[in-house]
Amino acid sequence: MTKPIIALFPEASFGSALNCVGIAQELQRNGAVPVFLCHSGFNGVFAEYGFKEYQLPASAASRPQTEDTWQTFVTAHVAHFNQDPMAQLNSYVAPTWDAIVDTAIRAEEGLESLLKRIKPAGIVLDNVIMFPAIANAGVPWIRVVSCTETEIPDANVPPYLSGLAADDPARPAFEARYLEVTAPAHHRFNEFRGQRGLAPLPAGQFLEPSPHLNLLLAPTAIRHERAAPLPEDRFVFLEGCVREEAQFDPPPLPVNEGPIVYMSFGSLGAIDTDLFARMITVFAAIPARFFVNVGGFLESYSQVPDNVYLGSWFPQPSIVSQADLFIHHGGNNSYCEALYFGVPSLIMPYCWDGHDNGLRVKQTGTGDFLQRNDWTAAQLSNVISALLGDTEMLGHLKKISEQMKATPGTVVAAQSIFQAIAGS
Amino acid sequence: MPRSRSNARQNHLKLARQIIEFILERDLSKGDHLPESVLSEACGVSRTPIRSALKLLEQKDIVQRREEGGFFLNLAPEALSPDISSDLDDMEGSLAARILSDRAERRLSDVQSVSALVRRYGAPRSSVLNSLKILSSDGVVVQLPGRAWAFQPMLDSPNAIEESLAFRLTLEPQAILTPGFQVDSQKIGLMRQQTEDFLQRPDGKLSSSAFLRLDCAFHSFIAESSGNRFARGVLLAHQRLRLSTQKDHTIADFRLRQSLNEHLGILDSLERMQLQLAADQMVLHLRRSQIRRPQTVNRGILPLARGGPL
Repeated sequence: MTKPIIALFPEASFGSALNCVGIAQELQRNGAVPVFLCHSGFNGVFAEYGFKEYQLPASAASRPQTEDTWQTFVTAHVAHFNQDPMAQLNSYVAPTWDAIVDTAIRAEEGLESLLKRIKPAGIVLDNVIMFPAIANAGVPWIRVVSCTETEIPDANVPPYLSGLAADDPARPAFEARYLEVTAPAHHRFNEFRGQRGLAPLPAGQFLEPSPHLNLLLAPTAIRHERAAPLPEDRFVFLEGCVREEAQFDPPPLPVNEGPIVYMSFGSLGAIDTDLFARMITVFAAIPARFFVNVGGFLESYSQVPDNVYLGSWFPQPSIVSQADLFIHHGGNNSYCEALYFGVPSLIMPYCWDGHDNGLRVKQTGTGDFLQRNDWTAAQLSNVISALLGDTEMLGHLKKISEQMKATPGTVVAAQSIFQAIAGS
Repeated sequence: MPRSRSNARQNHLKLARQIIEFILERDLSKGDHLPESVLSEACGVSRTPIRSALKLLEQKDIVQRREEGGFFLNLAPEALSPDISSDLDDMEGSLAARILSDRAERRLSDVQSVSALVRRYGAPRSSVLNSLKILSSDGVVVQLPGRAWAFQPMLDSPNAIEESLAFRLTLEPQAILTPGFQVDSQKIGLMRQQTEDFLQRPDGKLSSSAFLRLDCAFHSFIAESSGNRFARGVLLAHQRLRLSTQKDHTIADFRLRQSLNEHLGILDSLERMQLQLAADQMVLHLRRSQIRRPQTVNRGILPLARGGPL
């Protein structure tokens, strides 16, 4: 019997890419042939884990960016990362949606021909926007919501990207502004969908739920109780989605005592090297060992304190499992990995759904929130010390971890995908 | 000759660490015999340095010499941890290793005075000078006119590793193809055995530092076999630099195994004296190693790429 080919298409971000690696490892273990469709520049990320990659055919407009392009991006947006979610709607969210729509339009033709060539039995889409070639491929497609569940709206769920509570009086104003700023991109996207034979989506929506299966990376401990529960036959919640990863052995530091604190703001967050340098100065005076993911900017740092270790990449599941505290940007994959290993989070968000997790971490007693740039050395130091010493929170997190490990999201995801494909 | 003694001590320390890894890999128990001949084969060196390394471990009570002959494991396996390696460093006062590690971790600036290092490490001036001389012999530091010492480029960042691979891609395949390339078949056998032993380890137990040692040993072997004295010298020095300074080498288990299988394929071709094929395999091997994760990504903007041609 031929093994079913399952094509996974994560967006070009490490969170969704590595989330899909976890699912693919489980699919492979159960007899499928997972393959990855990847954006130009993401080659090698999946091959390193042993999966076949198919790169979307590159047009002149879709080659990996140069240092100059990124420098322009950095210059334009680093200041925006300090804004509140409402202000970011105009400065960051609207142009990002515009760019995402461009990505979907550019990818369409190449994606369509690639899918005809691969002939998958099913397609797993971990993205925030629909690629019509997937809906038109004639095989079941599975939507993975690896951002927070706020991506699927509900009256009891906070508005997407807002950092607000569901019942916050500011909700109507935020939602109205969100629809206003995303309207041009949304209009353009709906026109494109029409050209490709897909129905238009409601305002503010760029990706419909799959009629086959939707997987949400929202562990029980942080899940919202919805006013209109999602149908269980098509919506499956995952208790984390942690991949198998290489072992990280923390190297001994010149000052090699105290708890382990791991910090990663994702590859994008690492561009703010001034912020990192400020934080590292504070870390130097805290009796703990700090392992800091500085992404591609290692050469921007010197005079590293003796209790701090900088790396451009860490096998995150391995180091989080050994950490006593995880400082991150609220990326949903990072937050869920912290919960999976029972580690408190200090969330310092800078954009997108990090704001939503920044609020959720306080509401659920699983860590704390700090505005990313507006703090004093004493405040940062105090919040780290408080989290490291909070035994009650640690007990709560231990129970969450046990519950999540009892029903690993990767296993549930793979089983559900097989069922969706078999039932088509 | 203090410098020779220090170099020998460094080698014995490295071997002592390899012996600890051997013990951990083989799941040995307290009281198990550690035959010198087996360790000698596993580490690819003669029995004399193995005996010296075992003596170092004896001083730490990790092994015990018994009258009936030989060394025996004196600790329960759970008491053995990779941290023991750093204990060994402390025991030997391995100042050179500490300086090197601090530089690779960006704790020390480009230019250092002996006085500054004396202050930082609380070590005698003679020890600091001796350590700098050891590092100098590996090309890690050079003495500037006057009393300052300057660190040389290291493999301490993704950019540096990228440049190292580009450099090796230029030279290593050519080292195989130059007239006079000759391999030692006994060493090929040893290299293959060590590689196959490492591949036997389960996923999650593939130590990246052990991999780096094996990888450097393989590429040093290629360099040693070259018929061109200059290629040989430059590549051997570069592998020494890799071994002592390369950071950021955590590699996913799949790629790590793939890389070692590529080594085995190259060894097969070398044994058959199919040098052109071996050189081509080396190109493929190094190109695969060049593929790196994108540096920075964001929704809607394509990644900032890193690494060589894909």
